[in-house]
Amino acid sequence: MYIIAVYDINTETREGRRALNKIFKLMKKYLIHIQKSVFEGELTKAQFQKMKLEVMQIIDPDCDSVIYFSSRDSRWLDKEVHGLGKDTTDNFI
Amino acid sequence: MKQPLYLFTNSTVKRKDNTLRIETSENKIDRPIETLSEIYLFGEHSLNTKLLNFLSQNKIPVHIFNYYGFYSGTFFPREVYLSGHVTVQQAAHYLDPEKRITIAHKFIDAAASNILSNLGYYKNRGREIEKQISRIKTIKKQLALAPGPMELMGLEGNIRDLYYSAFNSIIKQNYDFEKRVYHPSDNFMNAIISFGNSLVYTTVLSEIYRTQLDPTISFLHEPGYRRYSLALDLAEIFKPILADRLIFTMLNKGELSEKDADQKLNHCYLKDTGRKKFLRKYDKRLRKTIKHKTLNKQVSYKRLIRLDCYKLVKHIIGEAKYSGFKMWW
Repeated sequence: MYIIAVYDINTETREGRRALNKIFKLMKKYLIHIQKSVFEGELTKAQFQKMKLEVMQIIDPDCDSVIYFSSRDSRWLDKEVHGLGKDTTDNFI
Repeated sequence: MKQPLYLFTNSTVKRKDNTLRIETSENKIDRPIETLSEIYLFGEHSLNTKLLNFLSQNKIPVHIFNYYGFYSGTFFPREVYLSGHVTVQQAAHYLDPEKRITIAHKFIDAAASNILSNLGYYKNRGREIEKQISRIKTIKKQLALAPGPMELMGLEGNIRDLYYSAFNSIIKQNYDFEKRVYHPSDNFMNAIISFGNSLVYTTVLSEIYRTQLDPTISFLHEPGYRRYSLALDLAEIFKPILADRLIFTMLNKGELSEKDADQKLNHCYLKDTGRKKFLRKYDKRLRKTIKHKTLNKQVSYKRLIRLDCYKLVKHIIGEAKYSGFKMWW
């Protein structure tokens, strides 16, 4: 399935800043970083589940939030880019 | 499904934050490790042992191609899908001439079928290749009578010769394609075929790696030294489906031309531009899905290779008879 993950972490506390870093590193393992706190990519159901569990262990549900948008296939997702934007999800580098 | 990564721009590949970082002269790119199936390296890259350890942990093979685009080798992480039973049975099937020829025959039979369906497709589009088709059909009937792998390889050679002789009629552009020449390729057509074949070989190898099969014990090709010859065996079946059809379409549509190759003295190889164009299409083709007849679900072309590996395992351990994948469309 095709996932877009967006997060917002409260960085006022030290724990918050630490969580921000951890979430960033964790998401990089599964998805492609496209903007500051936005990731996207193709995952299997199992990988998605695994990632969600790992995210849950890091964030503080009282002040942080992570939102996932999912689509069964990237085909059913239109993407428009304005300004700076190459195809950053390409697997040819 | 896990996807391969193709690196063309010279870079340093690193392990960073438990994932993959590619540093080129212009920017730094992060790629997820969890969704990576294998890495293809073209051009010059630096890697360190830290990265290789990391890739090995994540079971990701790295295929390396040299300056001329020829396959030079694979970093093959430690085998993880081990099964002593399968290995022993696989060797037993090689040692018993009767059992060996049964499997070898299936490979060639499937390869010939796929070649014929390629030719059939172009015959329906008005190419004059009737002669080659009927002669391949005749040889195909003789396959079952071949007493040993050597004879089988001989017949396979005859089929290939006929097949390649049909290329001139299939391809609309006027390339003089006399005969197949290897090491090194002497003209444009040979260069593309070589490149396409080496890609199929690496794809098959990556899939074998994900099964219990031992890639060095083969049935059709003689298990040699320093080669994963089982990948050569299985590649026979998939070359017509994955590489050849792509070559025909790309040349007929003019998507690849002699401008994409470098001709020097008496050898010819694809330039970076040509390799990239071809690989893009190849990658797309691997992801293309078809409705599988027996599994009754959508299956990608790449997955078909793995399914054939599984079928081979089943044959080896005596659960079900193997038959190579044949296109039915």
